[in-house]
Amino acid sequence: MARSPAEPAAPDDPLLAVYLEKRATLVRFLAARAGSMAQAEDLAQDLYLKLAGRDRAAEVGAPTALLFRMALNLMVDRARGEARSAARDTAWREVARTQLGGVDVADEPAADEAVASAQRLRQLVAAVESLPPQAGRAFRLHKLEGLSHAETARAMGLSVKAVEKHVSAALRALAARLGR
Amino acid sequence: MTLASITSEEARREAAADWLVRLAAPDLAEADLAAFDAWLADPANARAYDAALSVTLELQAAAPAVLDAISASPARRDRRPARGWLVAGGLAAAATLAIALTPTRLFAPATQAYVTDKAQHRTLTLADGSTVDLNAGSRLEVSLAGHERRVVMGQGEAVFDVAHDPARPFVIAAGDRTVRVVGTRFDVRRRDGQLSVSVERGMVEVEPADGAPGRGFRLHPGQRLDHLEGASDVKLTAIDPLQVEAWKTGRLIFRDQPLAQVVADLNQQFARPIALEDAALGQTRVSGVLVLDDEAAVIRRLALLAPIKALPSGDGVILRRDEAPKP
Repeated sequence: MARSPAEPAAPDDPLLAVYLEKRATLVRFLAARAGSMAQAEDLAQDLYLKLAGRDRAAEVGAPTALLFRMALNLMVDRARGEARSAARDTAWREVARTQLGGVDVADEPAADEAVASAQRLRQLVAAVESLPPQAGRAFRLHKLEGLSHAETARAMGLSVKAVEKHVSAALRALAARLGR
Repeated sequence: MTLASITSEEARREAAADWLVRLAAPDLAEADLAAFDAWLADPANARAYDAALSVTLELQAAAPAVLDAISASPARRDRRPARGWLVAGGLAAAATLAIALTPTRLFAPATQAYVTDKAQHRTLTLADGSTVDLNAGSRLEVSLAGHERRVVMGQGEAVFDVAHDPARPFVIAAGDRTVRVVGTRFDVRRRDGQLSVSVERGMVEVEPADGAPGRGFRLHPGQRLDHLEGASDVKLTAIDPLQVEAWKTGRLIFRDQPLAQVVADLNQQFARPIALEDAALGQTRVSGVLVLDDEAAVIRRLALLAPIKALPSGDGVILRRDEAPKP
């Protein structure tokens, strides 16, 4: 994944060095959690600012473990602040296309892309509708409507582990059918 | 492809889907992230994950449209009990917005001017939800029309955090350049014919105003554009994201900038004027961070970054070239 040019290539701070080395992993994690590449990039940027502005004196332990702990804390703080808004926030990004390989995030589609996206939308809907009932419902509640794992489990009368299994099966089927 | 490699691809896709679920789990620990990182070390694993992730993100981005299509289809009549809070949340947010918008909309004139004096910072919340942090010594005019949000920047500097609204572009007129925005956070500085635009996140377009020479540029996060008004060219540089709005946190960050510009910035922050003894001294390049607390202390620290000494002069301070070598 491309780095934002604002982040120096070789900082003398070991934690910043680890950040740059692990940035692709962090963005992948943050994207799975936040539900959009744009938010993942924002969060990765927030994390960088936190790291750059932190008190280095109070630091103990391996930098990689510290980095991952800070990334987790960032998500916990965010979850407290804006619980469950992710599904609503995605509304304006309906037409946004993000690219994993680069940092480009185009906010509005080109005119010819709008036509293609209507066709793509039909493919997305068909793929979701073709999922087995339990997997389809778990995916819809958790990924599309933004319920947490626990809320999805309550809504479906299943254990959290069972919900995770259904969502994973749904993701596998969707990736196989829609991947390009 | 052999049977073994098909099986391993299948296992990879399964592992990728499991990771996508696991990473979103509330009980995720830092050891899980370390294991995920180790799993990604195999490029084939990373590809499988990216493929599953991009499909998931695409579906999540299209969630409202997909949900509408599914609920409209006759095959799916089961009502989703969980939909209730989503609708309620949306209504509540809309209600809050209406309360926030109405008074400003009713009483604000079509164009509103905002001014800050020396040593004064000001945060504005515009009716569309955008915020503008005005640095000292700045003046701008805002008009929010139905089709366009427009800011005319006189002199000064401001950090814009623009509310996303594709139907109403946010346009900043700064002399002979126009800054066009989709939804983002960035800094615009226009002082003495010198324009700088620095982007913290999102994307910003800077193009010549009607009739002005030159071409347009699209800026990404961590990029900065410098332009001398009247010239046809611009300079693009990479910047530290911390630098974008350092003045808001009471710091100024300089990277290879002329001393004259540093002094101009400081003169906006402090009442006691600082002058340079000669113009050539103003061309000295300066890099460093200045914490903006007390003017005398700031000048002392500046003297460590540049070959200068400060002398009192009338009600101000004059900076003179210091020939003595620094320790």
